[in-house]
Amino acid sequence: MTAPVLELRNLSKTFQLPRKGGWFAGHIDHHAVRDVSLTLPRNTILGLVGESGSGKSTTGLMTMRLMEPTSGRILIDGADITALTPAELKPYRRQMQIVFQDSYSALDPMMTLARIVAEPLHIHGIGRAEEQTEQALAMLDRVGLHRSYGQRYPHELSGGQRQRVAIARALILRPQVLVADEPTSALDVSVKAQIINLLLDLQQEMGLSILFISHDLSVVRSLTDRVAVMFNGRIVETAATETIFSDARHPYTQGLLSAIPVLNPSDRRPRRFLTADEIERGIPRLPGAGPTPALHQVSPGHLVEAVAG
Amino acid sequence: MSQTRSPLYFALRRFADNKAAVVSGIILGVILLMAIFAPLITPTGYADQDYLTEALSFPSSQHWMGIDDLGRDFFTRIVYGARVSLSIGFSAALFAVLIGIPLGAIAGFYGGWADWIVMRLIELFSVVPPLLAAMLLGALTNGGFFTIVLIASLFGWVQVCLLVRAQVKAFREKEFVRAAQALGASPGYIIRRHLIPNSISPIIVGFVLAIPLAMMLEASLSFLGIGVPPPVPSWGQMINVGMDFMYFYWHLAVFPTLALAVTVLATTLLGDGLRDALDPTLKGR
Amino acid sequence: MLRYIIGRLLSILLTFFVVSLIVFLMMHSVPGGPFDGNDMPVSDAVKAKLNASLGLDKPLYEQYLRYMWGVLHFDFGVPFQSPGETVTELLARAWPPSLILGGSGVLIGAPLGILMGMAAALRRNTWFDYLVSAVSTLGLTIPVFVISMMLIMVFSVWLNWLPAGGWEKPYSWILPITAYAAVPMATYARYTRSAMLDVMTKPFVTVLRAKGLSERRIIFQHVLRNAALPLVTVFLPMFIGTATGSIFVEAMFRVPGLGAYFVSSIELRDYPLEMSLILMITMMFCVAYLISDIVYALLNPRIRFGGKS
Repeated sequence: MTAPVLELRNLSKTFQLPRKGGWFAGHIDHHAVRDVSLTLPRNTILGLVGESGSGKSTTGLMTMRLMEPTSGRILIDGADITALTPAELKPYRRQMQIVFQDSYSALDPMMTLARIVAEPLHIHGIGRAEEQTEQALAMLDRVGLHRSYGQRYPHELSGGQRQRVAIARALILRPQVLVADEPTSALDVSVKAQIINLLLDLQQEMGLSILFISHDLSVVRSLTDRVAVMFNGRIVETAATETIFSDARHPYTQGLLSAIPVLNPSDRRPRRFLTADEIERGIPRLPGAGPTPALHQVSPGHLVEAVAG
Repeated sequence: MSQTRSPLYFALRRFADNKAAVVSGIILGVILLMAIFAPLITPTGYADQDYLTEALSFPSSQHWMGIDDLGRDFFTRIVYGARVSLSIGFSAALFAVLIGIPLGAIAGFYGGWADWIVMRLIELFSVVPPLLAAMLLGALTNGGFFTIVLIASLFGWVQVCLLVRAQVKAFREKEFVRAAQALGASPGYIIRRHLIPNSISPIIVGFVLAIPLAMMLEASLSFLGIGVPPPVPSWGQMINVGMDFMYFYWHLAVFPTLALAVTVLATTLLGDGLRDALDPTLKGR
Repeated sequence: MLRYIIGRLLSILLTFFVVSLIVFLMMHSVPGGPFDGNDMPVSDAVKAKLNASLGLDKPLYEQYLRYMWGVLHFDFGVPFQSPGETVTELLARAWPPSLILGGSGVLIGAPLGILMGMAAALRRNTWFDYLVSAVSTLGLTIPVFVISMMLIMVFSVWLNWLPAGGWEKPYSWILPITAYAAVPMATYARYTRSAMLDVMTKPFVTVLRAKGLSERRIIFQHVLRNAALPLVTVFLPMFIGTATGSIFVEAMFRVPGLGAYFVSSIELRDYPLEMSLILMITMMFCVAYLISDIVYALLNPRIRFGGKS
């Protein structure tokens, strides 16, 4: 079996926040991400879900080497890119791209759309200027924006159109991995569906693997193959998407699921609002798990954070 | 949306609505044209003492602004004075921008130590009164065109630098910068292609506002006799001479005073108008 | 807070040191000493002796250290142009006219400017507002010697109401003080207007209005208090600015103040006087900025508790 296209091994990020009380008070360590390991097999979509502040965006940024991890390793196609210099990293940049949540600030307001989408080709020196523009227009066309949009500026577009441009820019290099950091959470419901369908189409067409970061469980359910749930900087449960939605074991996952609005009132389950303390105390106790909380396999491909009990 | 419009188009529209700024721009344009085509619109050279017998005569139909104490056509002197004032203003502003952009971009982009050093440098220039330093430098070097340009740009870059720094700082965290980083773009590329184009408004504003400062500095130094050396005409130096004659020959004091006031005022109002048009959030600072 | 003040203090000391060093080196880098002029022919032997008695034959760094040591004891040396007294004595003699001129200029101009700015902000977009804007723009852009010139032309030459120069009789102070007051007045009118407008458009003022508070109490109790912050911080530096701003007013109106000595010290290469003038003014600016920063921090709770590094 070939190596997964993206692998994160024991990734951690600690921020040092200054402590209140003057000069010699030192600092507090804030563990934004702790010991996160993930595997993204080729041609699949992995959902990374959790509330804001759970560390999922930090994980995405570290995956892209836009933020340096405190410890752990990042592997692209089996190659360790954790410690590469910017120059060494540049060829790998073609393999992985990112789409952000805020499509407005993700596009340079002073550039035309054609230049924005052609920029990756420009940075990597692929083709002559006319070819770059031609490719960019073709890519715009592919994401559903007519070629005439090439001369427009970002402020003339709607949120959904801007997100299409951001996707076009991310995919023009034909990367293997796409990190999508909440790409739909700023959009209206109908536009959201369009963007999701576009991502699905492109994923199948280009053989793409996507790390889809979101707090929106209904989107995750319709899009992903597997889901990893993050809470307080660590992964507390990971399984195939259907398993998560039918057989969640961790109290935090169960809490998240109960928060999904349902259409039919008779399907409504009682909501469970849990405080962070209740979640920590509610970590499942399973025979065979270790003495400290750690991921423990409950069935093939379904891992839950658990302690011995 | 038949026609596509860049952000600068809207700035231009806002500028056109500002009457004071538009009028100032036109006045400055006229002064600029007069300065450029000075030889075509003046009867003599600026140092020609062609009218010695009529020295100090009042404005007439032949000599619109009269004759000065050394028998020179005063209108000619005023027009050539615009040349000196504007060329010093523009070149000093240009150098100020050339110093200010890289320092501001580096300080804003890298932060930390680079920012600390640039900010201390700016502090240095903010505690030294520019006029005193300019007088000292002017006296040490005996003035001259290039010294004044040097001094004016030395004190003019601070504002450009602060404006660019603030803009770069605000845009550094934007996601399009992150996206470019994710593409493997170097810091130099990001600064050149994204951050400086997005700072174009503060750069234009900083440039235009540096012009009147340099013109004032030149006039002040020339007024004290350590600016542009005679016989090259400078309004500041002409005001100084005019003072000696003002009780009897008012034109020698009034015309250079008005010329300086109008030019500096027009440039400042133009700069204010551009600032309001290019960046509505900077208004009133 | 303490950390902030100490940081500012250190950085200002550093600034002061660098300025003094630059000024010192600049003064010595020029060819020619004070006795090189032709108007005072002295033999080489006498020149050497004079130079030795003034310490000009020592190495540069020693001259600098000796000078700075003196400065710390308020000993600025002997001015070359009047060796019968110390620099300190000369300054004590020359400063009062400058102080009267600058001080009354600021003390008259600033309150006037504040009143004008307030009135303009309250009557926004009326003819009065435009008049204040016009006056303040004129005051801020036109060099002070041009303003002086205009005052002289109108009130001395044409109307013949007031003397164009001199300092002997108090009524000859009127024109120079008026000329001097123009800049603080214009600065304060502009600052006050924009600060008031800034505060008046804040949502909390709308809330106060909705609460039914009288317009008078809104303006005096809430708007003014919030608008005062930027006004307080520019006052001290502006006051110090009187020391340099007055040079031109003094030159125009022939006032025997500091400005006259500064001009002559530069013409006569009077190192001690020149250096002490620049150093003293720089030092005062440093202290003024430090105090302004502290006052700003004290008045502004957002800085008092963290923020701005």
